Amino acid sequence: MSTGLVTRDLRVAVEGKEILKGIDLRVERGRVHALMGPNGSGKSTLAFTLAGHPGYEVLAGSVTLDGEDLLALPPEKRAQAGLFLSFQYPAAIPGVTVANFIRTARQAVRPGDLVPAAFRKLVFEKLETLDMDPAFLGRYVNDGFSGGEKKRLEMLQMAIMGPKYAILDETDSGLDIDALESVGKSVAALRASDEGKDTGFLVITHYPRILQHIHADVVHILIDGRIVKTGGPELAEQIERDGYDGVRDEVASAGV
Amino acid sequence: MSSVTETPAGVAFAPTADGLEAAIALLEHVGERGGGIVGADERRAALARYATLPIPGGRPSRGWRHDYGALRFEELRYTSDRLAVPASTDGLVHRGATALAAPGSAASDPRVVVLPLVDAVRDARYRAAIPALDEGIVEDKFAGLATAFQNCGAFVWVPAGVVLETPIQLVFAQAEPHADAVFPRIVVVLGDGARATVLERQLGAGPGLVCGVVTAQLGAEAALDYVAIQQSGEEARVLMRRTAHCAADATIRWHLAELGATLARSVLDAHLDEKGANAEVDALFFNTGFQHVDLTTTTDHAVGNTRSSTVVRTAAADRGQGRFFGNITIRPHAHGSDASLRDDALLLSRRAHIDSVPALAIAANDVSAFHGATVGSLDRDALFYAASRGIARTEAVRMVALAFFEPAIARLPSEALREEIRSALDDKIEAATEIDA
Repeated sequence: MSTGLVTRDLRVAVEGKEILKGIDLRVERGRVHALMGPNGSGKSTLAFTLAGHPGYEVLAGSVTLDGEDLLALPPEKRAQAGLFLSFQYPAAIPGVTVANFIRTARQAVRPGDLVPAAFRKLVFEKLETLDMDPAFLGRYVNDGFSGGEKKRLEMLQMAIMGPKYAILDETDSGLDIDALESVGKSVAALRASDEGKDTGFLVITHYPRILQHIHADVVHILIDGRIVKTGGPELAEQIERDGYDGVRDEVASAGV
Repeated sequence: MSSVTETPAGVAFAPTADGLEAAIALLEHVGERGGGIVGADERRAALARYATLPIPGGRPSRGWRHDYGALRFEELRYTSDRLAVPASTDGLVHRGATALAAPGSAASDPRVVVLPLVDAVRDARYRAAIPALDEGIVEDKFAGLATAFQNCGAFVWVPAGVVLETPIQLVFAQAEPHADAVFPRIVVVLGDGARATVLERQLGAGPGLVCGVVTAQLGAEAALDYVAIQQSGEEARVLMRRTAHCAADATIRWHLAELGATLARSVLDAHLDEKGANAEVDALFFNTGFQHVDLTTTTDHAVGNTRSSTVVRTAAADRGQGRFFGNITIRPHAHGSDASLRDDALLLSRRAHIDSVPALAIAANDVSAFHGATVGSLDRDALFYAASRGIARTEAVRMVALAFFEPAIARLPSEALREEIRSALDDKIEAATEIDA
């Protein structure tokens, strides 16, 4: 069995236009991979494709989660298999409280594993870890939330669902430094918990600054639908210094 | 209720002059057991209005199944009766057009009066408190039918200053296996400063007809929560007009859930007659199968410094159809009025159809009037978001669709009622066969 969240030669089109042109990636349990790229490089396309959004057409390739064929599964089965996507723009569901939503979600991915009292305890622990007001629970999901509040709710859900693999799609976008720190803490707290110590992360970002708060083991650079370079944390520093054009020039001169 | 086995005397119902004479003869024969409030000549005049007044809301356009002009009333039984039974809870039960009531008031608070209407009519203390029908009701075609054939009803009187904690329940249950023609007149009178909740339930299987008029009269600073829950059988027709008149600083809260029947027409009027009067209206329907509901809300700001807030949520799945007419009138000189009307419609299948027809008539300056409306289908982004959290599609659809009704449900006066309506809507979503998303 092939462990990890693995894509092989993944090609994806949106509305007939090929966006991802052959992605090979392996995110191992317990490791943090950063996927960096400029606007329009296909970062969010990869996130939505992995999560099973119906608007993304897989032209070729495969995606497996610990050996299980994800592409054969509808989105909810992918989540039940242990995949979590933190949305860049999470949808609002007016009328559904956060409490109801996270209880239903937890029940869906880990049926019957916690009695109500234990679930309640878990929720309040996570709220405290994330420094969130319990009043959040009574609000409607993402309804009238600020950008920072939406991202905190994504982090809360991640902490409660305890996925095997978590994709953070531009979780840093639109956040101020405090909120960014809090996201960093959330990820660190999840990795320190029993449920999250083996979680593999794919942190998708445009800007290197989130990697000051989440330490990446591996950094990939995605340009024009292809991973053009893979390296260690120093690659993020190079982006900080030279921008994506620097990498583009380097790749072009190397004749890739 | 199950102990009642007597079959009351009855005649065939027909909305014609001959049918009415048969009904009047029956009422005289039984000693006007459930009728009595309407004299024979008045009944004849009301039938004439029914025959000549236009069909409310106009004729439905092409593709609409229900046409009031083509309503059929065959095989309906017309009766009127009153049976003495032991008192149970606060309230009054009708089985068909038979009032099942203890002798004396069915209210736990001795100051409050809950009686079959016929008993109230015979008591001079209460008879004077029963208001005449206002112009709006008189000019309503189906209120004409209800008046012509009135054969049962209830009288609720909450004297000045009395605050009633327990809801008064008025239950109208179709008496299977008969198909009854039931014409209730419900009169609710609250004295100055009185507070009460009245819960009207339309229940029961069977292909009956309920056509009735509710009038509520609120004294100064009175507050009435009137909850109407319609869960009649899938072949029933239920046509109800409910009207409230509010004195100074009084508050009427109409709460309506139309869930059953093949055809339901529901009119909610709020007349803000004196300054400081308030109306809060929340209404919902969810039409599945072949159901059709016409819902009309009318708020009349007759004087200034009156407020109203209307929240309507309508949905249809399968081949359900519905119309919402939302009317707000602000009369000349009603300065300082504040009115809002919010209606949202959710179409859950391609063959479902909902029309929303707002009408704001504002004749005063210096008022605040808001209207907002949407018609849409389920939010696909919300469904994908829920799916990405492991929530199965059917569960996600159920969750998002139920949530749609929440702004109306949230205004119900108790958590027990909120849970009841959520559960009833949930059952309907479960039973719906055509939900596209």
